[in-house]
Amino acid sequence: MGYSELFATYGEKYLQAIFETLSMTAVCFAIAMVLSVLITVMRVSPIKPLRIVGDLYVQVFRNIPGVALLIIVAYALPYLKIMLPWKACVEVAVVLLASAFGSENFMTGINAIGVGQIEAARSIGLTFTQTMTKIVIPQALRSAVLPMTNLLIATMLTTALGSQVPLNPQELTGLVSFITTRETAIGILPFTVSAVAYAGFSVLLGLAGNAIDKRVRVIR
Amino acid sequence: MPAETPVIEMRHVDKHYGALHVLQDINLSVDKGEVVVLIGPSGSGKSTLCRTINRLETIDSGEILIEGEPLPQEGKELAKMRAEIGMVFQSFNLFAHKTILDNVTLGPREVLKTPKDVAEQEAMRLLARVGVEAQAHKVPAQLSGGQQQRVAIARSLAMHPKAMLFDEPTSALDPEMINEVLEVMVELAREGMTMVVVTHEMNFARRVSNRVIFMADGQIVEEGTPDEFFDHPKSLRAKDFLDSIRGH
Ligand SMILES: Nc1ncnc2c1ncn2[C@@H]1O[C@H](COP(=O)(O)OP(=O)(O)OP(=O)(O)O)[C@@H](O)[C@H]1O
Ligand SMILES: [Mg+2]
Repeated sequence: MGYSELFATYGEKYLQAIFETLSMTAVCFAIAMVLSVLITVMRVSPIKPLRIVGDLYVQVFRNIPGVALLIIVAYALPYLKIMLPWKACVEVAVVLLASAFGSENFMTGINAIGVGQIEAARSIGLTFTQTMTKIVIPQALRSAVLPMTNLLIATMLTTALGSQVPLNPQELTGLVSFITTRETAIGILPFTVSAVAYAGFSVLLGLAGNAIDKRVRVIR
Repeated sequence: MPAETPVIEMRHVDKHYGALHVLQDINLSVDKGEVVVLIGPSGSGKSTLCRTINRLETIDSGEILIEGEPLPQEGKELAKMRAEIGMVFQSFNLFAHKTILDNVTLGPREVLKTPKDVAEQEAMRLLARVGVEAQAHKVPAQLSGGQQQRVAIARSLAMHPKAMLFDEPTSALDPEMINEVLEVMVELAREGMTMVVVTHEMNFARRVSNRVIFMADGQIVEEGTPDEFFDHPKSLRAKDFLDSIRGH
């Protein structure tokens, strides 16, 4: 079987898989960004219990392999009577991972701001919330563009966890498993198609990230 | 005794950093329009003293009063009080992602709820007053240190503060930029701003200050008019210190 036959038989499935991968990536990344901001605000808040919970969240989810997280969400949570659809399980696992790393990116950005600007903000009478929303978060967001681009790419690649559960339609990696189990003599062919898709989107995202970074970077 | 309530009053203020007794029974009162210079060796607690006045640092015991009112503990009340005390830092601390104009208008717009156009007009007036109006649309990193520090002063002034605290405002500057900042401060002093200034600039102290306070090891060791203090220091520590900064 060559590429032409592969596309003739599975072309439509590939297009669906690309759509699945990209849409899961978009959903997961958007939720992860919101969560990262919230967790990061907790981690720098003046309230100690919030800081502890925030730090704990990052330490836990940053240090568990994605597959293990998926197994916990998909196969352990049902014992607690929490049954999620397969796709939601994958998305929850990806979001937990990505938000932990996202918060670390923001923390790096915040540390680069330095305590001086924060003290200046407080000394002109800004409240904690105003200091966060006007000074800290905007700068942390801008300096996080490049690391967050990398995280977006990593998020896309992590949606390959979807291959470990029965999804319908499948994402790019799941589709490869599906094809190889049906076409036993096909070898590496179906994988190369997915690989090119992943690599192509990664390059595009990287370029977009660089362009955004150039425009918003804070000169120091 | 002055008839009016002092703008800043510290009563028996103590503060520790762990085992270090960084402020020891500090009593200080600054009247309206007064310019007080704080001077002393490195580590003597000058910055800490300044920072307790707008509660960037907490105190262990004693009282700090602003126009007779005790400093609020936390939250909105504290933020409101901070807005009334300007602070200028050694390292300028301008907001790196905002233009010069936005640096100056942020406080008025967010804290005083001044409408945008009014805040911008006033900011331009203040920037002109400190001589940097041509830089209004640049970001801080594009300005020299002296220009940045003058913007920082304008940013404080935009809040119409009752008093201003300066913590070594010229010691991060190249020598040729020190005077442009000092000149702005001299003018402020002449216009009647109440000021507490940590600085080793003796000429500045002599020209505009009403009082020099000498600190060592967390204590106020002596105070007097600038001429008294610089020409006839009473304590041995002050004599040694003045010798060291004069390079004897
Ligand atoms: N956050 C802190 N934690 C622990 N110790 C501190 C802290 N800030 C300052 N200190 C210590 O308190 C003492 C007084 O510091 P402070 O900065 O007030 O001195 P200073 O008179 O302003 O000195 P300098 O002229 O070097 O600026 C120093 O010994 C300093 O090391
Ligand atoms: Mg100091």
